[in-house]
Order: sequence, then structure tokens, then C-alpha cells
Amino acid sequence: MGWFKNITAGLKALFTRTRTEREMDEELRAFLDASAEAKRRAGMSPEQAAYAARIEMGSTNAVKHHIRQAGWETAIENSWQDLRYSVRMLFKSPVFTLVAVVSLALGIGANTAIFSLMDVVMLRSLPVDEPSQLVLFGDGRAAGSTNSLPNESWRLYSDPFFRSFSQKNEVFSGVAAIDSIEFSTHGTVAGEGREMMHASLVSGSYFSVLGVTPGRGRVLTETDDQTPGSGAVAVASYSWWQRHGNDPATVGKTVRIEGTDYTIVGVAPQGFFGATVGESPDFWIPLSMEKEISPGWNGLNDKWFQSLYLIARLKPGVSAAQATANSNLLFKQYIRSEYLGQSPSQKDLADVEHAQIELTSAARGLSRLRRQFSLPLEILTTIAGLVLLIACANLASLLLARGTARSREFAMRMAIGATRSRIVRQLLTESFVIALLGALLGVASAWKASHLLLTMASHSPQVAAMNVSPDLRVLGFTLVLTIFTALLFGMTPAIRATRLDLNGSLKQGRGIAAPASRISLARALIVAQIALSLVLLAGASLFLRSLVNLTKVDTGFNKQNVLVFSLDEYSAGLPEDARLVNLQQQIEDRVQTLPGVHAASFSMFTFNQGEWSTDVTVQGIPRTPKNSQDVLNNVVGNGFFSTMSLPIVAGRGFGSTDRIDSPKVAVVNQTMAQMFFPDSSPIGRHFGFGDDPSHSGDIEIVGVVKNAKYVGLQEDPEAAIYFPYSQRVQYFGNFSVRYSGEAGQMIPAVRRAIAEVNPNVLVGSISSLSEQVEESTSNRRLIAKLSSFFGVLASFLVCIGIYGLLSYAVARRTSEIGIRMALGAKRSNVLWLILREILVLVAVGIAIGVPLALEGNHLVSKLLYGLSPADPASLFTSIAMLVAVALIAGYLPARKASLVEPTVALRCE
Amino acid sequence: MGQKQGDMVQGTLEMLILKTLALEPMHGYGVAQRIEQISAGVFRVNPGSLLPALSRMERSGRVKSEWRATENNRRAKYYQLTPAGRKALKEETNAWGRQTAAISKILEA
Repeated sequence: MGWFKNITAGLKALFTRTRTEREMDEELRAFLDASAEAKRRAGMSPEQAAYAARIEMGSTNAVKHHIRQAGWETAIENSWQDLRYSVRMLFKSPVFTLVAVVSLALGIGANTAIFSLMDVVMLRSLPVDEPSQLVLFGDGRAAGSTNSLPNESWRLYSDPFFRSFSQKNEVFSGVAAIDSIEFSTHGTVAGEGREMMHASLVSGSYFSVLGVTPGRGRVLTETDDQTPGSGAVAVASYSWWQRHGNDPATVGKTVRIEGTDYTIVGVAPQGFFGATVGESPDFWIPLSMEKEISPGWNGLNDKWFQSLYLIARLKPGVSAAQATANSNLLFKQYIRSEYLGQSPSQKDLADVEHAQIELTSAARGLSRLRRQFSLPLEILTTIAGLVLLIACANLASLLLARGTARSREFAMRMAIGATRSRIVRQLLTESFVIALLGALLGVASAWKASHLLLTMASHSPQVAAMNVSPDLRVLGFTLVLTIFTALLFGMTPAIRATRLDLNGSLKQGRGIAAPASRISLARALIVAQIALSLVLLAGASLFLRSLVNLTKVDTGFNKQNVLVFSLDEYSAGLPEDARLVNLQQQIEDRVQTLPGVHAASFSMFTFNQGEWSTDVTVQGIPRTPKNSQDVLNNVVGNGFFSTMSLPIVAGRGFGSTDRIDSPKVAVVNQTMAQMFFPDSSPIGRHFGFGDDPSHSGDIEIVGVVKNAKYVGLQEDPEAAIYFPYSQRVQYFGNFSVRYSGEAGQMIPAVRRAIAEVNPNVLVGSISSLSEQVEESTSNRRLIAKLSSFFGVLASFLVCIGIYGLLSYAVARRTSEIGIRMALGAKRSNVLWLILREILVLVAVGIAIGVPLALEGNHLVSKLLYGLSPADPASLFTSIAMLVAVALIAGYLPARKASLVEPTVALRCE
Repeated sequence: MGQKQGDMVQGTLEMLILKTLALEPMHGYGVAQRIEQISAGVFRVNPGSLLPALSRMERSGRVKSEWRATENNRRAKYYQLTPAGRKALKEETNAWGRQTAAISKILEA
């Protein structure tokens, strides 16, 4: 109970301080009286007795201080005093405070913003029950569908395998399937206007495996996902529900997607966005409705249509190793019985020898973003960390100088009884106040900045909608960071400042008593700042130059004046046959007649939209390792090459003679022609898909088109084949239009033209080809922009640091300079004297920074284009910049030194 | 002048205060005087150590205090032992006895 009494007494003392003080005074007085009384009785005169009693007691304040210290509450009172004093001191030098707080705010803010992005993309667990029990089959590094049997760890699985596996396995309490493609479509809710919708197809077990309970209504269950076409129900996401005004009557409404009515049976709980970070479906719909959602995408009961991600929950007590063993046993059996048949050949067996299921943790969900962002985020984290270090070094040197200027104050305080630890504590409190103010400002800006970063990094509206506002974890991170920085920059200066020779400090008129070691520490800090800034600047200039190199890359096509419309053709409700082709050709023809339109075409891909790659074998050409690589395929309209301004260099393009019933044709690019026919013309040659030389060779090459970039600007020349869509009927998302004139007038005209052909075909988002090209480098752009920003920021901090150090050094050396000038030194000599000091520091900093920068640049070589990591131009630019910064920062104090009047300087002493 | 912390064996002040208060409740000066008298002037306790010690002991619940009138009709803060204080005195006296016995043995050996 003692501790309890202690706490309550302490609290009482804190809140009833005046009473406690009064009692203390009274007790002391009583003590004095009693003591004097006793002395009087022993024979002293009353005056003598009172005097002796007082001498015995000593300073009453000291006694009271000791009594107060018996309670813990004094520590709080002291801290409170320190805090008030610190705030007063900081207000007294507003410029110092402003510089310190702002530079820390930038450092802490940058770290917080990047950490919150990192947290969302890489670290946060899925908001589901016991996420650590969830495993993903494979690494999730593929999306789409495949019909091959990969001889490695599998990533995508078929519907029959999923159903058979969920029944037979013994190690998982449940297995869920998720279509690896999230479907973007249009739909209407309760007969209202059409809107864009994202639907995720999931197995009936999805919600129970994830352990997600409904926010309203119910979630999907096994009974919703029985036979193909049954289970026209949907669960709405919370954010969709929120966008629709939190309508309490949502459950029970119907949503019509691609001609099918789905009953909304429930709303997912708040915060649940599915299993994929960076996607946020509006509806979850049973897998049994796959064909209804996307007519061309039907993998139900088709073991060759492997398009599902599988996520399973481990049974309690089952280890990952046991689960892997059991899963692979079932998997091997399944491959044997379903794919290979009763008596597989040695070759068949060898082909699937390494096929396996690798279980990876799904605690943090799936994410393409994670792969896309992990390197950039790591780089940005490093950069932000370096900036914070520089800011700390800068602050430390400012505090050192300040400590020197305040040495008289400290000496005075120590002389009247303050202990050294008390002063160090008070100085650290000052550092904490600075750090805390910086953190507050930093977090406030990070709130905005992390969102800005996200939109800078990705143009996808779903990604931009991710919740990146700092949460408790992020704030915790910032708090730790703040305490760390305050200790980092505050500790040494505080200890240095209180290492005083009291008499000397008090005696000196100017209050400057700087041991040489303090100056050398300040110098070391400047050197460190220069070295770190060099690393940042060199990196930034490499990123910038890579970006410039990339933008100069010849894309092959002409990216100017092409609009890319994203169309939803499904909504026209046509089957995949000649009627669909007819619609597509009508749209192309209609749009091409618009004034200002030069060409228009549907296509599977434009640029940087993914790839469809296959193995091809050309008749009469033996397979070599070189020509056995996958080639890129695209399916396009007749006007595609003119839309993209890709000239035909041999043969012909596609035309109206290429119909579904005419011989199959293809146009290849120059790389493909060179790869297979280095010495002859490819025109008229035949090829087929796959690696079997005895294939039908049913496709004839009719033309050769100029090379282009397909998936990314940095890619090497790729072999590519184009097919006419008249012979490969399919829905398209892309409709590209080459035009001249105003894009703003062209867009409504094209929309009108499409509506005239078929009002059901919906136009989704509209972008331009040049935007697509630009977007393909958005990651690099982000890194280049941020690293340049931070590089400039770092140089600015160095500038402040150097200015501070030199001003202080000049002030210290005023008399020395006076003597030099009195002895005949010229102003230019003095100028040089000061500047030389800074040039030496810069030289040392650069000497340390160059190897660091080279090492750092090696780590990012993956993100460079057309440059070596040791690119001398980048390095020299950075060095030149730093020298310039140092000279600018050093010039003002040096000039001030050169203007010293010898007579004035000498009289000062 | 007066007692120096080093003169008294570390941690014994509280024990002496406890012992003094075990006889009867007393005010601060009374405690100081009593210790000085009984030790025949060897230990002189000044208010700078006594009052903080009393405050500490009150905080930890070994003594409690109340304001009373003194013998010559002045107000003073009187301290008295609590049951916890009595227990602590017993324990510390025992421990002290063991320690001094051990130390004497070593010194006589």
C-alpha cells in the first residue's frame, strides 16, 4: 500500500502546492522557535539564541528544497520549469528556433510521409481476423490466366483444382479463391444512372476464410457459389456504400451488371478493402458468376483456365512446413491424375518435375504495388533518413555555437548552485521542444504529403484512394524518431556546453570560452553534412539524367496527338463473333470520318499496358535459343499502324480483305524479322504458336512494321507480332484516335460518334498516348523529383550550417583579424583566410562523400537508364554545386571579417 | 558545524528516527534533540537532513503527522509511528544487530 499512498500524497502535493508550501514554512518556523527556545533555556540571550538557531538550520530555502525532493512530484515540477524556461529561451532567439524547427519539420515530415506510405503498401496487416494464419499459394507475381503447366512454383490455379483441393486438404481450416483480375465494368443500382464499378470475383468461402464479418446484412457463403450462373448476389464495399450516402436501404437493392441483376445482400465492414493492397473493389460477387461478369473469361470447370489466387487459413497448430508438405502431396496427385494421365512419358514427368506449391504469408495481403514500390520506397526512405541526419548535424552545430554563446549563462547558473545534470536536462528539454515542434509541423505536412506522394506515384484512382493518413503506428514511429533526433542533435552540444571552467567563463567579458575541441566538433559536423549532401546530390542528378535519357528514347510510334479512350464494349451485350467485329469496325469508320481525325483503331494494347507473349515457331526455320524466346503479341484494327504512325517497311498492313474466313495473317516488327529471317524476306512465310515444329503453320506474315517500345521505355528491342482483330474476335478496352486540332473539342465529338453507332458502348476514362508514355516513368519521375528536392534541401541546410560556423568563427577571431590588418594584411588576404577554412572543410567532405556516393549509386543502378552508376558528369555537377553553395555561404561572413576596422577590433579586447 | 552526512552510517538516520518516535510522538526539533541527547552529542542531526527524512518516511507510510500544541503552547507538527513504521523498526533493528555483530566478529578476528 506504500506506493499507493506515495502516489496519492504526491498528487495531493502537486495540486495543493500552496498549502504544502505553507505547512513546510510553518514547520520550519516551529523548528526554529523550538531550537531557539532550547538555547535560551541553556542560557543564551534571546538574540543570540535566535541567531544560533538560524545558523544551525542554514538556508531555509535549501532545507525546503531537500524536503521537496523527497517526493517524486518534484521531478515533474522541475520538468515543467525546464519546459517553460526552454520555451522562453526559444522565443528569445526566434531566427534560430525557426531555422531549427523548419529544418527538422522537413526531415521528420519527409520520414513520416514516406513511412506512412511504406506502412500502407508494405507493412500493414490485412484488417482481418488473425492475419498471420493466412497463406497465399505462390508469390502472387502473376495475374491473368495461363494454360501452361509451369515447371516452377505455381501462381495461378484453376477452378477445378481449387474445389478438389479445398475438399481434400487436411491442413487448412478453409481455402478461398480470388479471381486474379479485378473487373472494371459499368452497372446500375436500382435502375439509377450507370456508374463505373470494380468487381472482385471470389469463392463462397472468401469471407469465412478471411474471418470478415458483415458490416450490414450478410457476406457471401458457400451456398452462393455452387453451380455456374447461380448466386446472383453481391456484397458492397464499405467505401462504395459510403459514396452512396450510407443508404440504410442498400441491402436488398439490386445492382445490374452486364445484363444480370445481383441482389446486394450485405455491406462489408469499414476498413476492409479485400485481400489486395491497392485495389478496392466496389462489389464482391461469387465466382459462380464469372461468365456473367465477363463473357470472355470463363474458367469454371476448366482445368486449363488457371486464373485464381488461392488464400488459405492454417489450422491452429499446423506449421507452415506441414502445410506445404500436405499441399504439395495433393498437388502432385492432382497433376498426375488430371493433366498427365495414367501413364505419363518421361518427358511429361520431367516437364512438371519442379512444379510445386510454395506457401507465402498472406498476412499483409497481395499487392502489385508492393513489388512496384518496394525499390522506390527503399530509396526514398534512405534519402529521407539522410536528410534527417543532415538536419540533425546542422542543428547540432547550431546548438554548439549557441552553447558557446550562452556559456556565461551556464556558468552563472552553476555558480548559484545548479548541478551540471540539471543544466544538461534543461538543454535537452530545449532540444525536445524543438524536435517536438518540428515533429508537429512535420506530421501536419506529412498528412498532405503522403497523399501527394501516392498520386505522384500512381495515376490509378484506386491507388490514390488508399488511406495513407498517418495512423497510431505512424505517429508512434514519428515519436520515436523525434526522441531519437532530439537526443542525436541535443546530447553532445548539451554536454559540451556544460563542460565549463566556471571562473574563466564568468571572468571573460565576452562570454566566449571555446575549447579547440568544440570548434573541431563543429567542423566535423560540417564535413559530415557536406559528405551526406554529396551522396544525395549525386544520386539526384543520376536519377534526373536517367529520366532525361528515358524521355529522349525513341518510342517508335508518335506519341503526340493520340487520344486513348477506354471503352466498355461488354455493355453493348454482343456475343464474341462477327457482330462484335462489325460494331468495332463501325465505330472505327464513324470516328474516322470526323473532321480532324486521321486514323482510329481498337487494339489490345497501346503502350505499357501489360503483355501477351507466346512462343512461336516459323516453318522452315530451325529453333535456336535466340529465336525460342517469347515474342510480344498485339491484336489491332486495320487503322492501328497509321494511328500510331508506325510505317510499314515491307509488305502490307491489315485491310478489309482480312476477314474471319480468309487466310490468317500477321504483321511482324523489324526485330522479329531480323531474328528469324536475317538474310531473307519474311513476307509470305508461315508460323504457328508453341514450340512444336510440326504445327500447322497457319499464320502468314504479310508485312513488316517499324520497331517500337511496347511495355516500357527502357526495354531492349523486342520481337513483336500484330494480328488483325477481324480474325481474332475479342472485346477491347483501348480505342485510339490520331487527330489534329484541339483535344478538348475532339473528345466530345468522338463520344458522340460512338454513341451514334451504339449508345450502349460506354466511354470510361480518356487519356493520351503521351500521358501513357509519361505514366510509364512515374516511379522514376517520383524518385527524381523527390531526390532533387531533398538534394537541394540538403545543400540549403549545409549553407546554413557553414554560414553559422563561419559567422561564429569570425566573431571569435575579430581581434586576431584586427592584429593581422594592423600588421598590413589586405582585405583580400582576410577574405581568403576565412574562405580557405571553408574550402578545406568542403574538400574533406567531398573526399569522404565521393566513395560514399559511388557506393550508394551502385545500389540504385537498377533504376538508372543509359548511365553508369559512376557517371562522372553527375558527380562533377554535384561537387560543383556543393562548392558553389559553400562559397556563397562562406562569402558573407568572410566579407564581414574583411571589413573589420583594426582600431575597433583591437579596442574591443 | 553540526552533523555531516558522512558521519552517520548510511541509512541509519531513518532507523534512529523510528526508534526515537517509538517512545512517543514528537515534533521535528524534539527528534533532533533526543537523538543528540541519547547519543551524548555524537550525532547532531540538522533540519536539512531531518525534515526531508521525515517527509520521505511520511510519504512511505512509516510515520504520520498531525499539528498539535507544544508544551509551551506553540503549534508544531508531531510525528508518530504507524504500524508499518513499527514493523520497519523491528526489521531494521534486527538487521542492524546482525550486521554489527558480524562486523565486530571480523574486527576481533
